[in-house]
Amino acid sequence: MANEARKLVVIDRVVKRYGGETVLDGVSLDVDAGQVMVVIGPSGSGKSTLLRCLARLEAIQKGRILIDGALVAKGADEPGPAPDAAAARLSHDVGMVFQSFNLFPHLTVLENVTLAPRRVRGMAAAEAEALAMELLGRVGLEDKRDVHPARLSGGQQQRAAIARALAMKPRIMLFDEVTSALDPELVGEVLKTMRGLAEQGMTMLVVTHEMGFARDVADDVVFMDRGAIVERAPPGRIFSQPAEARTRAFLERLLEREGGSRRSR
Amino acid sequence: MGDLQFGPILGYLPDLLDGIVVTIGLSAVSVALGLVIGLVLALARYSGFAWLDWPAYAYIEFFRTTPPLVQIVWLYYGLPALVGHDLDAFWSAAVALGLNIAAFFAEIFRAGILGVDRTQWQAARVLGLGLGDTLRFVVLPQALRNVLPATGTTVIYLVKGTALATAIGTPELLRVGQLIALETFRPVETLTIVAVAYFVLTYPIALAFQALERRMTASRV
Repeated sequence: MANEARKLVVIDRVVKRYGGETVLDGVSLDVDAGQVMVVIGPSGSGKSTLLRCLARLEAIQKGRILIDGALVAKGADEPGPAPDAAAARLSHDVGMVFQSFNLFPHLTVLENVTLAPRRVRGMAAAEAEALAMELLGRVGLEDKRDVHPARLSGGQQQRAAIARALAMKPRIMLFDEVTSALDPELVGEVLKTMRGLAEQGMTMLVVTHEMGFARDVADDVVFMDRGAIVERAPPGRIFSQPAEARTRAFLERLLEREGGSRRSR
Repeated sequence: MGDLQFGPILGYLPDLLDGIVVTIGLSAVSVALGLVIGLVLALARYSGFAWLDWPAYAYIEFFRTTPPLVQIVWLYYGLPALVGHDLDAFWSAAVALGLNIAAFFAEIFRAGILGVDRTQWQAARVLGLGLGDTLRFVVLPQALRNVLPATGTTVIYLVKGTALATAIGTPELLRVGQLIALETFRPVETLTIVAVAYFVLTYPIALAFQALERRMTASRV
């Protein structure tokens, strides 16, 4: 695989099982630097698990995951040495934002953002604070620096979580249904933050049901079903003329449910 | 039984104060020891490694299920026989009570750690925080709030439990009270005063834990 080095993320024949259940069944996917990839599919299709494997929250049983040419995970049967876990952790190349925000409730917004830069990178307090304030500015939360997460709206919490992930200067950001837990009127502000990130050239892998976002922002849309990638295409093509019947069926169901009554983004 | 007379006991107040000081000392040493060992045991049990979990489990069940009085006696009389090295009555009682209460703290802390959502560990992990930092900055501060009520109760229970040190003659509050009762033939009055003294010692602890709990809750909601 000579061209692996040019890809920021290479997911190569990854198999993930929970007990007897195969959640990812030989998934291969690569992402270029600066690319925004949106992953869609029915629940249980394995799209969140794929992100969690990339973030090293889950071990994989087969295949390999490389980030910028460096092996970060591999199945037990794969040849070659195991990834260097300590080095991988220290490279902080992957940032992740969760559906349920997962901010640290006992810390203020500022402390949430500065904790990892200070502890993992050994950044001085003042430097970490300056970085945090710049990021909080980018997500529009400068005035919430000393507030605890419980006092924030869901949209504000999610934007704080994005700032916290960015503070580690990741090479790729993973978004796992980050608007699914939000009240409808708060979805827009989070998506806007994500659009901003995409415009600034951040490499992003986004699991979402927000088709408007996928249509506008994605370079490629990936449709997953039953632990496998069914189709990958630019949004213009996958939404208007999907190649696979399963993709078409999924999109039709989704459009029916949205029924045109939902706000357009 | 005649009338209750507290007068004869007043002359022994200095002795009672000495007893109170010893009780405070016993409590402080055993709580400190218990908190440290309890936390280590809780983490060992939580770790998921059998070689840490099993010894911690055995320790906790041993100390929870045998009488603390017997543990004090074992340490005081048994240790010299075993290793030819002895602890005095104060340290025997303090260490035995600390080892005992550690088992209770361990279970409280373990429940507290289990009460912190798994997603908090995951958030810390994707940020690159190591195990030590995750515990110190993310998990334990949240667990602390969960465990405050039960910890306060256990500390109060222990302060009164230091009276068990009477069995090996440690001159703590109850022991002093018993001696005064023997000398004055006024056991009811003496023990009533002793009970009041335990209340004066323990109620501030209850208040302190309540205040701490309020403060930790207020900062978050």
